Amino acid sequence: MANSFKHGGYIGQLLRVNLTAKRISKEPLKEDWARDFVGGAGLSARILYEELPPKIDPLGPQNKLVFMTGPLNGTMIPAASRAAVCAKSPYTNSFFHSIFGGYFGPELKFAGYDGLIVEGRADRPVYLWIDDDRVEIRDASHLWGKNPFKTQEIIRREIGDEEIHIATIGPAGEAKTPFAMILLDIRAAGRGGMGAVMGSKNLKAIAVRGTGSVTVPNMLKVYNTAMRLNELFATTPAVQGLSRYGTPRNVAAMNEGGILPTRNWQTEIFKGMKNITGEAMRESVVKGDRACFACSINCTKYSVVPKGPYKSIINGADYETIYGFGSICEVDNMEVLCKADELCDEYGLDLISTALSIAWAMECYEKGIFTKKDTDGIELKFGNADGMLHMIEKIGKREGLGALLAKGTREASRIVGKGSEKFAIQNKGMEWPGHTCRPFPAAAVGYATGPRGGSHHDIRPTAEKSGLVDRKVLEGKGALAAEVNHWLILCDSMLVCHLGEPIWGPTKISQHTINALNAVTGWELDYAAARKIAEREWNMIRCFSAREGFTRKDDQLPPRFMEEPVPEGPMQGSYIPKETLERLKDDYYTYRGWDLKTGNPTKEKLTELGLEFAIKDIC
Amino acid sequence: MPVEATMAKVKVKTFSVIRDVLGAETIEVDVGRAQTVEGLFAALLERYGKPLKNLLLDPETGEMVPFLIALNKTLIRSTVDMNHTIKDGDEVAIIFPVGGG
Repeated sequence: MANSFKHGGYIGQLLRVNLTAKRISKEPLKEDWARDFVGGAGLSARILYEELPPKIDPLGPQNKLVFMTGPLNGTMIPAASRAAVCAKSPYTNSFFHSIFGGYFGPELKFAGYDGLIVEGRADRPVYLWIDDDRVEIRDASHLWGKNPFKTQEIIRREIGDEEIHIATIGPAGEAKTPFAMILLDIRAAGRGGMGAVMGSKNLKAIAVRGTGSVTVPNMLKVYNTAMRLNELFATTPAVQGLSRYGTPRNVAAMNEGGILPTRNWQTEIFKGMKNITGEAMRESVVKGDRACFACSINCTKYSVVPKGPYKSIINGADYETIYGFGSICEVDNMEVLCKADELCDEYGLDLISTALSIAWAMECYEKGIFTKKDTDGIELKFGNADGMLHMIEKIGKREGLGALLAKGTREASRIVGKGSEKFAIQNKGMEWPGHTCRPFPAAAVGYATGPRGGSHHDIRPTAEKSGLVDRKVLEGKGALAAEVNHWLILCDSMLVCHLGEPIWGPTKISQHTINALNAVTGWELDYAAARKIAEREWNMIRCFSAREGFTRKDDQLPPRFMEEPVPEGPMQGSYIPKETLERLKDDYYTYRGWDLKTGNPTKEKLTELGLEFAIKDIC
Repeated sequence: MPVEATMAKVKVKTFSVIRDVLGAETIEVDVGRAQTVEGLFAALLERYGKPLKNLLLDPETGEMVPFLIALNKTLIRSTVDMNHTIKDGDEVAIIFPVGGG
């Protein structure tokens, strides 16, 4: 297997575990699929398109949970620690790839596997122990109900190895809360309810230890590529600052630019911003810095609130915590944000969806749709920090109003009605991250057409946000969105971290990205060949959605972004009216060679990309 | 008879690592008679040298990287709008281009 695989960087083997049959098997990775889909999101999409019948219940035993690495994992290439966990999402009802950093991905490769496919459902709680070649399904009855950190502690103790890396779910995953996440050591595969899929399989955790290595065809070439990338990470302006301030380095600048989403997106300027910036976080709670495997960016912060009502220890906070529980809920206390982050980790909840669900409930309360009777006595106003923390716990326990909010804003607003759908900030069921598109047309059409809905990893507003391209021009924005899709999906397949955006992108696949992939695999891709792989991957995912019944009508933005202009600040007046979005969609589909009526790839496009097998399903 | 331009002092607001180089969130910069945004940045690069160049110039091309500038709360672009005039008392904020986590 390992040494004879055709392409460098791969192990050449997948591990498959059927929990219903308690069957563990190893199978070769298909060389042509590796070449055509690389790994991570792209390869998982191809596998799941092949193996999942359409329209299955995402929380039923037919769904499969795929942990997939990429060729760069486990090499010295920096920012390449990431891995993908993929399934049909119970939150968006289509293919979903949730990407995470840390050490789990490289460790899985060191154990001898490019990926792990989990299928079926165990008849009782279990965990997997992958110890190189030896793989066991172990009883996890004693772990059920425990939070992810406690679970990891117990598993490490019972295996007797502090160096193992562990993926685990919390109580939210066990309860199949549709936005439950998976915690991998300290890193989260946060979005899309992959934790609920894992919980539906009665799979509490996966522990892995590997002692092998990754083979590359030309070590000197990989070394030189890694050194050049490290140099670029250290000197590229938009990457600098991550080491000192982490991802919240942008909070103050975004507020100044009028693009810090606030009060459930009613506005984009937060008056309490000063207390929750990256600078304020560094000065108040950060005690250290952490990095993922072989990464020189060092973006993770280790923060401690040592005492008081918000006593907590977290890895973060990241920008999305500060956006979600800070400006969106109008809470300007960094210690509260640390506590909110810790609670989400302990319950195993995606913090973006949790925060946006609470903010939606706050707006319901503000508008009189909810009263104290609905909120279990909590005065759920914007800015009520303790009320917000109570609601996280209620969502985690699915108790009182928390049981409704645990369904997410799309479903909760459908149940509540009374116009609350208008301020449910979601697309395809998934709540919005902290990156606006109201002033940015390419970002808008990218979000609308993205397979995961509210994900800033299907599109990045950076080109328009930085002024690299003119945000006020509509022409060419469909093409820009498509090319940003391409560098993102290629990176999610190789797998490298999007925080290296200025180097990997930012407007199309960069030569640095191609160089890194070529160095590790031994391929000799030029731009056109790399772009074709990315286009194939994007179309593969679109085919999955189309087979599930998604069409052009599902490519939408939250009503607020189409109907309510930004009310103040430098971006005052910005929004994306419905007719503008439709025009942008036409532009995007045309550039992609997709059918304008359905928004699906055409026969010609699928043939061009070698995806003929999907023609019978969607054309 | 030509009217000679007067000297201009502007307030410059910065954040994160640029703030760290400048030493304060807001500083005052005398741009002399070079009364354009480009002149302001030339003055800043002159005053703060390599540490600021490392943050504003592309390491591969040496060109100014793209970012937004709030000139009296109106957003302009570093890539195309550097010839905007500035006058005494103006406020300039550097909105640096970064994505999120």
